[in-house]
Amino acid sequence: MTEQSLRAWVFPAVLLGLYEAYARRAAALGSEALAPPSAALKAMAGAAVDGSLWHATGFTLGTAALGLLLGAALGVGLGIALGLSRRAARLSLLSIEVLRPVPSVALIPLAMLMFGFGMRMELCIVAFATFWPMLVLVQSAVQQVEPRLLEVSRVLGLSARERAWKIVLPAIVPRLFVALRLGVAVALVVAVTVEIAANPNGMGYAMMIAQQSFEPALMLGWLGWIGVVGFVINAAMLRLQRAVARRMGQVQ
Amino acid sequence: MSGRSTHRSREWFGDWLGSAAVLAALIALWWAASSAGWVSRVFLPTPQATLASLAEGLNLSGRGNGELLAFTLATVSRMFEGWLLASLFGVLLGAAIGVSPVVRAWLQPTLEFIRPLPASALLPLAISVFGLNPAMVLCVVAFGAMWPVLLATVHGFAAVEPRLVEVARCLQMPRAAFVWTIGLPNAMPDILAGMRLSMTISLIVAVVGEMIASQSGLGQAILLAARAFRASELFAGIVLLGLIGFTSNALLALAEKKLLRWQRT
Amino acid sequence: MSDTSFLRFDGVTIRLGGREILSPTSFEVARGEFVCIVGPSGCGKTTLLRAASGLVAASAGGIWRNGRPVSEPSREVAFVFQDYGRALLPWRSVAGNVSLALEAAGIAAAERPPRIAEVLGKVGLTQHAHKFPLQLSGGMQQRAQIARCLAQKPELMMMDEPFGALDALTRQGLQDELARLVRDDGLTVLFVTHDLEEAIYLGDRVIALQADPGPGRPSLARMIDVRIERPRDQLATKEHPEFLHLRRELFAFIEQGHD
Repeated sequence: MTEQSLRAWVFPAVLLGLYEAYARRAAALGSEALAPPSAALKAMAGAAVDGSLWHATGFTLGTAALGLLLGAALGVGLGIALGLSRRAARLSLLSIEVLRPVPSVALIPLAMLMFGFGMRMELCIVAFATFWPMLVLVQSAVQQVEPRLLEVSRVLGLSARERAWKIVLPAIVPRLFVALRLGVAVALVVAVTVEIAANPNGMGYAMMIAQQSFEPALMLGWLGWIGVVGFVINAAMLRLQRAVARRMGQVQ
Repeated sequence: MSGRSTHRSREWFGDWLGSAAVLAALIALWWAASSAGWVSRVFLPTPQATLASLAEGLNLSGRGNGELLAFTLATVSRMFEGWLLASLFGVLLGAAIGVSPVVRAWLQPTLEFIRPLPASALLPLAISVFGLNPAMVLCVVAFGAMWPVLLATVHGFAAVEPRLVEVARCLQMPRAAFVWTIGLPNAMPDILAGMRLSMTISLIVAVVGEMIASQSGLGQAILLAARAFRASELFAGIVLLGLIGFTSNALLALAEKKLLRWQRT
Repeated sequence: MSDTSFLRFDGVTIRLGGREILSPTSFEVARGEFVCIVGPSGCGKTTLLRAASGLVAASAGGIWRNGRPVSEPSREVAFVFQDYGRALLPWRSVAGNVSLALEAAGIAAAERPPRIAEVLGKVGLTQHAHKFPLQLSGGMQQRAQIARCLAQKPELMMMDEPFGALDALTRQGLQDELARLVRDDGLTVLFVTHDLEEAIYLGDRVIALQADPGPGRPSLARMIDVRIERPRDQLATKEHPEFLHLRRELFAFIEQGHD
């Protein structure tokens, strides 16, 4: 490990160490709210062994992925269409500005009403939440495609579908992956939020249950695990995005 | 010359009309879907029913119960107070960290770890520690919404144009003067963007907090409406939440435009 | 030994990345002189200027101003950067940018407006005092930077290829403006440029540096006095026999430097 990556751990290690000492004292005094990190690790190890860790994580990640797939597919599709046609973009502006500010969490009760609890409800909310940023970013990316390339497509007589597939899509790939990275982050956050608020499945719910059952170690463990999962996935997306940018000839 | 500008404003007006027409068409679609029963009215109330719930809840005609108004105010004040606290502490801490490359180097990785964490994930911990009360929700709102501002401020202070640093050295500016006259204005675009993101998070956490901590507000109202199958009240609440999101964002965008006038050539 | 010179370079050596960019260089600048420094890329002329203003430290040797060693930047020495866009505060107007120099010097708020107006008048930006840098042309932005430097009331002005990024016509106009300003205020100027004609046109003395110094090949290769009377004129001076002679001499020297 390089000196720099070692240094990254100093501050969190110190914080965790202090908290460990503090929480041990609190636990000894009978606190049901705080637990030392060591106890949290043990609790999570237990969850890993009995399978609940993988089950919940799999649910959250799977639902987030499916929701993102839906939201991104629609968002990218509409984004390309609106990006290519200034007329369509102008006409749809008001409708988008009216619908976009609705916070995705406001739709939780509606989704609950329509689908009950489970994957479908969470998936829909994730799709709604990821649709808007994908739409806006892809639309902007398409609008910034080199106009010269679009003129070339007209001169060559490409059909609309060919133009979208052969010129626009490759041109926007780097920015598409930037949008995708943001989409992944939003999908994860929204999925966990839905589970905390309502859906009795997944990591967020596991954390809520742990808190309600007065198991602070398990609750803290889930909090930490959610953080780790989010961090790892986001870091992986960042590397992917950079690799794509390099591959497509752009210097980020 | 004036001919061109009237043409442009006519075009702009035409855009607005067309845009409004599209929106009206969508509403008409909503009306049709609901009235004709393509989508069950349990899930999709008619636009009129939604409007009626809104009017009653906001006590527009004087005969309603005015509940929605109280809930709206509760949610808005929670969101706003939390956002204010978050921005204040975010800027102060962010400036303290961002100004010093040494502090940044030690803290940056930890900050990067906190960045992807959902703010609502802190609610269970806060409930354990503080119990189910309004102050707890406010704390989580403020703490959760602080990070976009903090991270943006750190970035804004870290990315000062090196030429300006040299100019400050040539003018023999003391450190405090440098932070105030160069560091802070330079970070302003980032800070304002962070504050906008922070407002979005404040609203989300306020709503989720109300839902799970049974605090009076729009979040709880729409949850209860759904449980009682009162779709028009549910939709009224959603409309109000959308309005809150829209208004707060628009106000911040306006403030940003005013403060960043110098960015436009 | 009494040091009567205004600015003295004593065996100044600059090493970057393990290579010696500037071999020990010594010369003196008298008060009120306009000294131009020319040379190809990599000869160290910009770094020499930055060392003289205290922005970087020389690897060996020293620089003395008024008999005292130069180690840190000082308000008495103004520095005009080539990338003017990045040296101006984009969020302040032209007047605001000029004000920065006065604020740094601790001038009371009430005293600033007249001084700002005076200096803006000198560079001809009075009409544009309330505009932001992004709203100005390149030439105007550079004038704004010069105005801010003048507001420092410096005794020495360092200029690093200040007109390099501008078009020819703007450059010529600014050259004459600068010459007039320097004459009116009696400034001492160290002016780095890659444009030989500009150096001869503006300078009382031209110092030519060469790149890749080595034994028998010092950095300071030529120092010539420009004995052309002032005020100078873009057309007449450039047809003056002395100008043509110096131009040929410098050109031949620079050509020699490019093997």
